[in-house]
Amino acid sequence: MKEELQFKLQAHLDGELPAAETREVAKWIAQDAEARALFAELKNTRGALKVFESEIRLPESREFYWSKIQREIARSEKPQTTEKPSWLASWLRRFLVPAGALAALVIASMLIMHQLPVRTALGEPESVSAFADSEAFTYRDYSTGMTLVWLSYPAENGFAEVLPSDTLGYE
Amino acid sequence: MSDKAYSSADDSALVRAAQNGDMGAFEELVARHRDKIYARAYSMMRNEDEALDLSQEAWVKAWQRLKQFQGESSFATWMTRITINLCLDQLRRQKRQRSESIEAMDEESGGVERQMPVVNVNPTEGLERGELRQRIDQALSQLTYAHRTVIVLHEFEEMEYKEIAKTMGCSIGTVMSRLFYARRKMAALLSDLKRPE
Repeated sequence: MKEELQFKLQAHLDGELPAAETREVAKWIAQDAEARALFAELKNTRGALKVFESEIRLPESREFYWSKIQREIARSEKPQTTEKPSWLASWLRRFLVPAGALAALVIASMLIMHQLPVRTALGEPESVSAFADSEAFTYRDYSTGMTLVWLSYPAENGFAEVLPSDTLGYE
Repeated sequence: MSDKAYSSADDSALVRAAQNGDMGAFEELVARHRDKIYARAYSMMRNEDEALDLSQEAWVKAWQRLKQFQGESSFATWMTRITINLCLDQLRRQKRQRSESIEAMDEESGGVERQMPVVNVNPTEGLERGELRQRIDQALSQLTYAHRTVIVLHEFEEMEYKEIAKTMGCSIGTVMSRLFYARRKMAALLSDLKRPE
């Protein structure tokens, strides 16, 4: 049997054929045993499925099932109310933060530039300091950026005793 | 609205209240239709966890789109359509991940169902309701997703060919073909299940 005719049988069963064709197919079923058998099979299958009106039940309690839906609804609504930043906050984030960083950089540069000539003009190319506790002296040369540290020998405290005999240290 | 008022109100009153933001009214709608919505998702997915997730997702979507519901159909029908669409999206995603090219061809051209002899006896005759349901359930789970979907939409949702074609995004001819071969396969599976082992 042609596929087209098989589909017509099915459409007849489902009430999807126009009136004129319905009469034609009904006549064919009455006369043709093969068509009748196929029609009966389709009808039985449809009948079985009609009986099978699902009695599947939700395997969760009403409260538990609802709580998950409620939580998801709350979560989906949250971003719309809280995550949208105000125009002021976004303006600050976009312009003020980079401008602040730039200003800090300029101020730092100006301070460095200002300090260097002053030290030189004052004739302060070096400094010396002494630490009474450890009996250590430091000498700082600003022009070369070098620092020398003298420790007394023989040392009178525990810290100096562990140092090697050559006690000169460089920074 | 009080708890008592929720349970005595009809669906349309609950929908109106929910459209105005009444979460209690929406909860009552969920309680009333949860079994049907879950059952529809389960009949399409054949997996308890997926059916639970998708049915809950359908309720969340329904809440978000509640203002769009104008009452052209019943609330239950509208909810079921949302569920079916979510299941179809999920099944399409799963199908893309699998290689079903031969199976897809068979869905429309019939495959082995084309050569099958006609089942002469009613395979469900003389069965208890519970046993019959179990056998149909077993047979449905052996169909491909496209065959099962077309059966669910036509037999359980009572959709016409045209509506099924729109829902599944295919032609009416494809729907007729899929439905025909799905029914033939169901007939064969049910008669096999009836045979004594």
